[in-house]
Amino acid sequence: MQMNRRDALRTMGAGFGTLGLINVLHAEAAAGGPLAPKAPHFAPKAKRVIFLFLNGGMSHIDTFDPKPMLTKHDGKPLPGQKIETDRASGNLMRSPFEFRKHGQSGTEVSEIFPRVASVIDDICVIRSMYSDNGNHGPSLLMMNSGHGLTGRPSMGSWITYGLGTVNQNLPGFVVLCPGYPVLGAQLWNSTFLPSVYQGTYIPSGEREPDKLLANIRNRTYGTAEQKEQLALLDKLNAQYVQRVGHQPELEAGIQTMEVAFRMQTEAPDVFDISKESAATRARYGDGDFGRGCLTALRLAERGTRMVQVYFGNFQPWDSHDDIRLHAKLAHAADGPIASLIKDLKARGLFEDTLLIVGSEFGRTPMIQNSGLEKVGNGRDHNVHGFCTLLAGGGVKGGTTYGATDDFGLRAAEKRCHVHDLHATILHLLGIDHKRLTYRYSGRDFRLTDVEGNVIHDILV
Amino acid sequence: MRADMRLCQFVIWTLAALVCESAFADEAADFFENKVRPVLVKNCLACHGSGVAKMGGLQLDSRDHLMAGGHDGPVIVPGDPERSMLIQAVRKTHDRFKMPPQGKLTDQEIADLSSWVKSGAVWPDAVAAAEPNEFWAFQPVRKPRAPTVSGGVSGLTDIDRFIRAKLESNGLKPGKRAEKRALIRRATFDLIGLPPTPAEVDAFVNDASERAFAKVVDRLLASPHYGERWGRYWLDLARYSDGQLGASKDEPFLNAYRYRDWVIRSLNEDMPYDLFAKAQIAGDLLPSDDPQNLIAGLGFYALGPDEDDRVDVTGQVFLGLTVGCARCHDHKYDPIPTKDFYSLLGVFKSSDKHQFPLASEAVVEAHKRAQKDIQQLKNTIDDFVNKHSTELSELLAAKTSRYMMAAWDAANGQTVDATALKLDETTLRRWIAYLNSPGRDYKFLDPWDELIQKRAPRDEAQKFADEFERFVVQVFADKHAMDDRNYVKLGGAAGVRDEKTRQYTNLESLPIEQYYLWRDLASEPYRKDFLDFKGGVYYYGAKEIDRFLAAEWREHHEALNMRLARLQKEAPPQYPFLHALTEGKKPADVKVYVRGDEKNQGEVAPRRYLTALSKGEPPALQTGSGRLPLANLIADAANPLFARVMVNRIWQHHFGRGLVGTPSNFGQLGERPSHPELLDYLAATFVEQRWSLKAMHRMLMLSETYQLSTDTDEANLAKDPENRWLGRANLRQRLDAEALRDALLAVSGELDRTIGGPAIPLGESNKRRTVYALIGRTKPNAEMALFDFPNPNATSEQRMVTVGPMQRLYLMNNEFVVNRAKALAERIAGEGDTAARITSAYRLLYGREPNADELRLGADFAAKGQDAWPKYMQVLLASAEFSSVN
Repeated sequence: MQMNRRDALRTMGAGFGTLGLINVLHAEAAAGGPLAPKAPHFAPKAKRVIFLFLNGGMSHIDTFDPKPMLTKHDGKPLPGQKIETDRASGNLMRSPFEFRKHGQSGTEVSEIFPRVASVIDDICVIRSMYSDNGNHGPSLLMMNSGHGLTGRPSMGSWITYGLGTVNQNLPGFVVLCPGYPVLGAQLWNSTFLPSVYQGTYIPSGEREPDKLLANIRNRTYGTAEQKEQLALLDKLNAQYVQRVGHQPELEAGIQTMEVAFRMQTEAPDVFDISKESAATRARYGDGDFGRGCLTALRLAERGTRMVQVYFGNFQPWDSHDDIRLHAKLAHAADGPIASLIKDLKARGLFEDTLLIVGSEFGRTPMIQNSGLEKVGNGRDHNVHGFCTLLAGGGVKGGTTYGATDDFGLRAAEKRCHVHDLHATILHLLGIDHKRLTYRYSGRDFRLTDVEGNVIHDILV
Repeated sequence: MRADMRLCQFVIWTLAALVCESAFADEAADFFENKVRPVLVKNCLACHGSGVAKMGGLQLDSRDHLMAGGHDGPVIVPGDPERSMLIQAVRKTHDRFKMPPQGKLTDQEIADLSSWVKSGAVWPDAVAAAEPNEFWAFQPVRKPRAPTVSGGVSGLTDIDRFIRAKLESNGLKPGKRAEKRALIRRATFDLIGLPPTPAEVDAFVNDASERAFAKVVDRLLASPHYGERWGRYWLDLARYSDGQLGASKDEPFLNAYRYRDWVIRSLNEDMPYDLFAKAQIAGDLLPSDDPQNLIAGLGFYALGPDEDDRVDVTGQVFLGLTVGCARCHDHKYDPIPTKDFYSLLGVFKSSDKHQFPLASEAVVEAHKRAQKDIQQLKNTIDDFVNKHSTELSELLAAKTSRYMMAAWDAANGQTVDATALKLDETTLRRWIAYLNSPGRDYKFLDPWDELIQKRAPRDEAQKFADEFERFVVQVFADKHAMDDRNYVKLGGAAGVRDEKTRQYTNLESLPIEQYYLWRDLASEPYRKDFLDFKGGVYYYGAKEIDRFLAAEWREHHEALNMRLARLQKEAPPQYPFLHALTEGKKPADVKVYVRGDEKNQGEVAPRRYLTALSKGEPPALQTGSGRLPLANLIADAANPLFARVMVNRIWQHHFGRGLVGTPSNFGQLGERPSHPELLDYLAATFVEQRWSLKAMHRMLMLSETYQLSTDTDEANLAKDPENRWLGRANLRQRLDAEALRDALLAVSGELDRTIGGPAIPLGESNKRRTVYALIGRTKPNAEMALFDFPNPNATSEQRMVTVGPMQRLYLMNNEFVVNRAKALAERIAGEGDTAARITSAYRLLYGREPNADELRLGADFAAKGQDAWPKYMQVLLASAEFSSVN
């Protein structure tokens, strides 16, 4: 990835030629446009990313970060300084779930994730994550775009901008959700990066493959008829190009028509999970998240650079009322996550796929019982400490990294900000996060802003 | 070239002045004035000067100041350059400070500074400090004279002379003029965002008069569609959306469109740009015969995010300054200290959002009163229902054992007659269903399940049911007592109904399993994320409670409901209003948030204007919120940025690229103008022409430069491949989202040209212009986004033009396109024979006649049986020629 490409891409964006563009564009057009694969800064460990987003805020202390001291102090006030939370919070509350050691690594996992526990030796649990703002919106934006306000490109946009994508017949960055998470498309927007890098949204609740990707099928004319149309279009466009003379951008644009035609055959196929065996489908279950994970597998197999699967609409993991609801949520997430890891391995993709599982933040060790709750057995948002799971290409499986304090409130050891996570993700993809920049309105922007340190300890 | 000369002359003149005033006899002073001060003036004082930014607390305008240093101590150690921070910084060897932030001083300059420090850092103090803000964008606008150009060329405007001078100095040839058909198509898309009609093309082509093109431009500027096109560009800047902020779903503001319509109307009426800007900042405070018209402009802020964002967009949109960057730290490149950000933040924090009613006070009052009455009555009804519902569930709880035993008998095959048992039939049915349903969230009924499983004798079951009933009654009593205590904690009914109070009040709760027992028996239905509770066994809500009530109570409930229905029916509808700002009750300065952290507040930032744009002490913004003085300072001819930024935006949309390529950033990191003198010429003329946007369009479009063809010249291409010097016109590679959709509707003859009105979602039935489409925040319209419609959550300075296969798929497959092609086929069906139809289509779509080859290709295709014409028309609509403009 040569960084002078930046200007070339930006020019594509502005639509008018700038210095040195012509050659670059010719090269780019020949290689298949701005999404053509680009060389990373250094040898990558992972070639693609699957990000399973458990939106709403998975409680770390009930899933992957056991806290014996919390059990011991159940019902007592949190010692030390009070910390500001979103709503009124009460005394400490132990997890209702039991933790047990699993695998060779002996990593402790809560009983609500039995199948993930069975593959825990493939997973690195970062237990010292923290972020900046305890509301869903800002934290979702931080996790997705490295900035707590709207207006910055999403991580998927940055990654496809930096690396392009392998399969030109499919979108490079795909987002699956049955409906919309909180903030919707703002979480996969390319903002000032060219819109080819925007996440392509797939309503994963839809079961007809043709309906998943907008405009992928012509409902009026058949393929043969379309071929005739395209043949005529080709001739007319060729005449026009000749008439207007030297206009390389125009030519590049016209060439994308062929790609579009090819996409029509490949794209519906990838979203058609009925092409998987009944046994495979059964492993993922028929839930939205399960089908999303299976689709992610198929996309990864076909060279999509980044797939993000949202667990569900709005914010399902936001268990303010009763943390025991996490058991049901985990039940819906457990099988698909474990199956995805197993299938990535079975299909030889695990070694160069980076799998991320996590939320915008965690939850408080204190019980939540403000006037907004029905039950009074839940937990509030916790941005001061939470966990994120990584697996696959370049990640040391069967490890944990960092720690929260005794009660799980704050990241305490080897603290890892979201910026650090982003820097690490880019690093695994062969990108130096400080060098992946884009000049907009006079400033060089990056995913990690002016922050971010790669966590080398978790790398193979 | 000429501009560079001017700059040179300016520097020399400044130097000369300094030199003259300094003491020639003093060699050290001479060295300072010749070698040191110019370097400091040119590179440092914008940020480290007197009275302005003083970034890092550092001023480099006197020896004392250098010795005093900034927050990190003295920056020079006279005699020891190696230990002087200033020298380390310019050598970029200091671990933190590497100055200047952009670029590096020349080796000679660094050596000079270094030897100056080594020789004791002599600073002759007789000389006044130099003007700190040397940066081009902060210099006053001066109207330069258009340069003379070689060759006896007539018909050149001043604009062309500036352009030609640059072409000449870069060894480029001016291109030839565009042919008329291309020109009118370009002008029409440019000004109104639609293709010209065949009649308009013909009229222009056949008009041999010298004023032919001027007539076209005037006609287009007078069109009400002008405001729709150019208003939309402003809405890009204003990050306009119909969507509510922070909403998890797109719930549109139903009155947001009034701001959009105001923008369109104001442009159509050619409202002077200074007033246009002032209205958006302080429309409620300006003297006016038509205050309502100016207040509508406040939607600029009122529809957007909070105060931080307001400071940011104010800077970017009106001034081309990224003031928002100073929120957490002094601006790293421009003379904007953090304090300035908070000075402006105070202005916006001292203003409140306000729904300015477009109705009489009586109507507003009547609406408010009615809503209040409705709310009160709803509360009364809620209280009534809750009270009886709770009482009922407690009464039923005391019969738990009897219900369970009836269920037991039913489960054992007996016929159970609820009435005979004096039980409620519905409740019994619910009990039976409940006892049969799996997965309870508590274990108290586990023994009952076991009793059933082992087919225990009835008396064992009876014993358990009696025990269980006692337990249920106790849990209900506990819940009741606890609710009473929580009610007190919340401060009574008012607190219960106030979300904030509830959010920040810590309540008591039942032990979790007891809660679930209570919930399953008595709670109202509720939905929470990932949970859908259908209602408790004993729960009877507003719709079902009546049959349990005594006659008097029932009648009372019915009467309340009827009254509510009547109130709701009679209530006056929501009156229309403008999203506006108003002066806050207590305007006040805010404190600087250290590193942007609201919880860590530092010194007070008095409400005042930007230091970078002030001579000396910045003017106070202390009248009311400060918005009115702010508006007057910004929208002022003396403001070096206000006019420049706007003429550059207009230039950008006409020529494809601004004279400054970063239209919302005229700061250090922004681009330098390609034609600085032309920019100033335009800015000064803009002011002379009383801020008339239409006059500016006219002036730009009547230049030769605008009317050049897009043809490339080999020699020019080699020297200026990006066409920075405008030897030709830039080809518009792809229509933007709105122009494309509008053009599809226009050529198919379906475009509804109604101006203004409420936003409507896009779709097959919507034939209005795209500018009137509903613009959501969380769920963007997929087709619009596909064609680079800007994200409405941030101000957008220019349109991207990306091309990709997804756009092609849209043109190939989208029903909207297929249907427009059908309509177009029908439209031309009556034109006569095949050749006449094809010709008609070409004239509509491309503003030209088809050539023989095209006629032949078209005729062959159109002869291909069913749907051949709609399919053919779709090809023409999907063609590169339709969606590009040359």
